[in-house]
Amino acid sequence: MTESDLHLDVDLDEEFEPEDLEGPKPVATVGDPVLVVDDLHIVYRVFGGKAKQVAAKGAENVREAKAPKRSLLRRLVSSTSQHVGAVSEVHAVRGISFVARHGESIGIVGINGSGKSTLLRAITGLIPPRSGGVYVAGEPALLGVNAALMPQLTGERNIWIGGLALGLTPKQVEERFDEVVEFADIGDFVYMPMKTYSSGMGARLRFAISSAATPDILMIDEALATGDAAFKARSKARIDEVRKNAGTIFLVSHSISTVEAMCTRVLWVHQGQLVMDGGTEEVLAEYRKFVRAHRLARSSARAGGVGPRARSKQRPKKQAAS
Amino acid sequence: MTTDTTTDAASGDRGKPEPGRDPLRPPEPVVPDTTSQERRAIAEQFGLQQMGVRPPLGKYIRDVASRWAFIRVLGTATAYSKNQNNYLGQLWAVLNPILNATVYILIFGILLGTTRGLENAIAFIVIGTFLYRFFEQSVHAGSRSIAQKTNLIRSLHFPRAVLPIAQVVSLLTTLVPALVVMCAIVLLSGLLPKYPMEHITWSWLLLPAIVALMWVFNTGVAFIVARAVAITPDLDNIIGFVLRLVMYGSGVIFPVTHYVYRLPEAVQPVIGAILEYQPIGVFLYVARSILTQEPSMPQDPWMWLWAAGWAVVTFVVGFIVFWRGEERYGRD
Repeated sequence: MTESDLHLDVDLDEEFEPEDLEGPKPVATVGDPVLVVDDLHIVYRVFGGKAKQVAAKGAENVREAKAPKRSLLRRLVSSTSQHVGAVSEVHAVRGISFVARHGESIGIVGINGSGKSTLLRAITGLIPPRSGGVYVAGEPALLGVNAALMPQLTGERNIWIGGLALGLTPKQVEERFDEVVEFADIGDFVYMPMKTYSSGMGARLRFAISSAATPDILMIDEALATGDAAFKARSKARIDEVRKNAGTIFLVSHSISTVEAMCTRVLWVHQGQLVMDGGTEEVLAEYRKFVRAHRLARSSARAGGVGPRARSKQRPKKQAAS
Repeated sequence: MTTDTTTDAASGDRGKPEPGRDPLRPPEPVVPDTTSQERRAIAEQFGLQQMGVRPPLGKYIRDVASRWAFIRVLGTATAYSKNQNNYLGQLWAVLNPILNATVYILIFGILLGTTRGLENAIAFIVIGTFLYRFFEQSVHAGSRSIAQKTNLIRSLHFPRAVLPIAQVVSLLTTLVPALVVMCAIVLLSGLLPKYPMEHITWSWLLLPAIVALMWVFNTGVAFIVARAVAITPDLDNIIGFVLRLVMYGSGVIFPVTHYVYRLPEAVQPVIGAILEYQPIGVFLYVARSILTQEPSMPQDPWMWLWAAGWAVVTFVVGFIVFWRGEERYGRD
């Protein structure tokens, strides 16, 4: 995978209409450290993967679990090794360190596959690190639409399961039940199995469930990308409310304007490494340049009449020539 | 061609003549301004806890206990969702074990006659298959409890021991109606000619106790397989064979201890003792001794002690084994 092959479907402004984001810009009143990330490495074990082919294409963060030996025996065996014991590793986060302080809201940006979501999950403590560590005050919570619920069960059961899994007591779940249903705006569908929901309804319910508990540190993963304008406004209000209590916020989003409106500091992650860390304007200016340059390169390649398929056929020729 | 320049620029072979960074390349990775030691010192200074490390055993036990409501809801919901996609619905929770028992009664009880020497072969096989099924399904459910819920593990925080416990709880909820049917079949089998009458005695009240012990035991086993399969997924393939070996070795469908005399004399006492006192054999013996009036199976307090011992030891060992792998679940 070369960089030009990476998907760059980054919204520059589409996701939020500017009027959705009215209100004062967040101002950081920075306090004590609440989260320290120390040289974090996350490695996924992937069974049945084709590390060799992918690695040959140049993706730096995928490699074979065992170093390939070039002995004759190894080469004889290698034809079967793809089917027996094919384990590869994806090095999704490669040595990230930073310190987050109380009162900061931190955006994480990067193109698809750069390791943003993995980083977010790792600092929430949901994916154990290969090496390095995450130190945190209080219990961070991930607010996302990916909270895996049980599609064959009714929305009602799912609210219970989600709420209890978040650490609420049965009494608290009961108290907040109506609020969750109202926020998700699904009405009587709450008594139907979740697999019958439209994707928007499902996403709204998941968001409503996962925002039912108010955590110390809040991690938001693309949660704002779902739903219609009314829901977006509501969810932004909910996040603002949570932010007032939470103190520290992490936000992963493809929408640069969302990050701009909500964050005081931005981390730019590229291929599992932290390439920039600083104030919102400074980092986003650079990141915009990067994304625009890539988009331009892609669209001019398309305009030249060379489709992706044709390009991939031409690449080996070019490599042979050079 | 534009793409080619992109590829070259991205791989960094060539510097651009213009001043400043090539816009197609991200900046170099940030070099942190603190060392690893300094960061850890900061963490310590402000009393930050490390994430993703295994909590101490005492705290872990309290965590799990405080999630009891979650375990119950997850368990019953799983049990309910299992039989939801067909016309007979929850009825299958009862029909399935009945069909299972029928197969074994036909083949082993009637065709092969392996239950000779027993007064009531149907009661023997029905009790054996219904209870063994509980164990077998617990092991399978335990082995899948982590892999199946990877998404849940990667989105929410909770002690992972909740998952195997909830799986076995879900099986227990489907077992309860099945047990009622099991008792009914035992009673009805006494009405058949040639079979002696079965009576409801006071000892039937002990059935919940032995089921509870078995539940504790199964949870312990589920912990152990959950960890083993989460770390080495290949083991999932072996479990089926081990379970079949255990089934034939514990006298689920025929009294296996009656066949020990065929072995060489030197190993007879050892093998005989193993077959008699291994956990599944013990649980089945106790259940049969309280439900039937089989002369070869009198009530035996020692067997109750064995059953309790197996349950407690397996649960404690399983819990500790599972807890020791806590920080690894979900990494894959």
